[in-house]
Amino acid sequence: MANLKDIQRKIKSVSNTQKTTRAMKLVSTAKLRRAEELAKRSRLFAEKTNQVIQQIASQIECYKSGGIENRCFAQIDEPKMVDIIFVTADKGLCGGGIEFFNYNEIEMLDTVIGLSSAPDMERSSEFIEKSINDYKDGKIDGVYIVYNGYKNMITQELHVNRILPVDTTDYECGDNNQKSMLEVEAEDQEKMLDSLMNKYVEYNMYYALIDSVAAEHSARMQAMDSATNNAKEMVKSLNVQYNKARQEAITTELIEIISGVESMK
Amino acid sequence: METLHLEIITPSGLIFNGQAAEVTLPGEEGEFGVLPHHASLTTQLQPGVIDVQMEDKTVQSIVVNWGVVQVDEEKVVCLVDGAVAISGESESEIAKALDEAKKLISDVSDSNVAIASVSAKIESAAHGLM
Repeated sequence: MANLKDIQRKIKSVSNTQKTTRAMKLVSTAKLRRAEELAKRSRLFAEKTNQVIQQIASQIECYKSGGIENRCFAQIDEPKMVDIIFVTADKGLCGGGIEFFNYNEIEMLDTVIGLSSAPDMERSSEFIEKSINDYKDGKIDGVYIVYNGYKNMITQELHVNRILPVDTTDYECGDNNQKSMLEVEAEDQEKMLDSLMNKYVEYNMYYALIDSVAAEHSARMQAMDSATNNAKEMVKSLNVQYNKARQEAITTELIEIISGVESMK
Repeated sequence: METLHLEIITPSGLIFNGQAAEVTLPGEEGEFGVLPHHASLTTQLQPGVIDVQMEDKTVQSIVVNWGVVQVDEEKVVCLVDGAVAISGESESEIAKALDEAKKLISDVSDSNVAIASVSAKIESAAHGLM
């Protein structure tokens, strides 16, 4: 019977899909472990760098010390134009991302492909350099990074980080944490702050990338896990259908045989 | 004995986290030592060697290529780009660390004098261990 064959074919195709999704899940799990490890190790550096920068910024803000004038620490009350950097997944099967911009016809200033799946300090620095320079030149009033961060195996967290100008809200003037005034010991403080600032921005960019990779893998792992489960369910219900159809065919055949015998009596 | 808390952090993780009696850092304007209760200070590091004197007087050397150090009364936080600790159980391990450290320095520094002076320092630190 054609119907039986159809169902059989369907079962086979669904279980093949299931095999693929399960394999993809395993791959993602393995990749996630590595990405998670990397993100964990880098988190500390990112946090410390931010702490140091914020402390410097707040001290500059509080004491107006040393006549340091650096746009990175300026307070801009009404930003006119800002750079917003979105870190999304390069590959699919882990939820929407870049498609959102395409569907909503949002124009992108610049797109980099292949960076978020393989974060690389050099390439990310190259990318963010333009924003830093634009900011320093006064073309833009802020730089934001939006990315999905890794929280744990099953949840991701959306981060919207303002990296420029430096956020000083965590530190209040006259805070007890600041036991003594900032003393920048360098021939030209500006240069030191400048290179520290660049490192800070570059590192934040890089960290956003690796954190987002970890989140991407965890999202894909989850998506593939539920796809595998769905396939399993589907095979189950198709099996029931198949058995029913088979039983039906047998019953029809039996009726045919019996009625044949009956008519010969 | 009074100690200070020292943290040396690189993008790939924590290199050193613990108590130290004294730290010598390669500052932009020359080497400087930090003892407990040092006044607050933030400065840039140049490629060089961080010497950490532990509580038991042993010295550990860590080679760094670029960094910023923040010193306050209780702790010293070094944020560095790359770092290699000159340590190891056997001579071959020390020699390996030595090679890595030299590579780290020669990658960032273009002045031969600087490379030579750092190399000499690393070698003497390594000989102390062997």
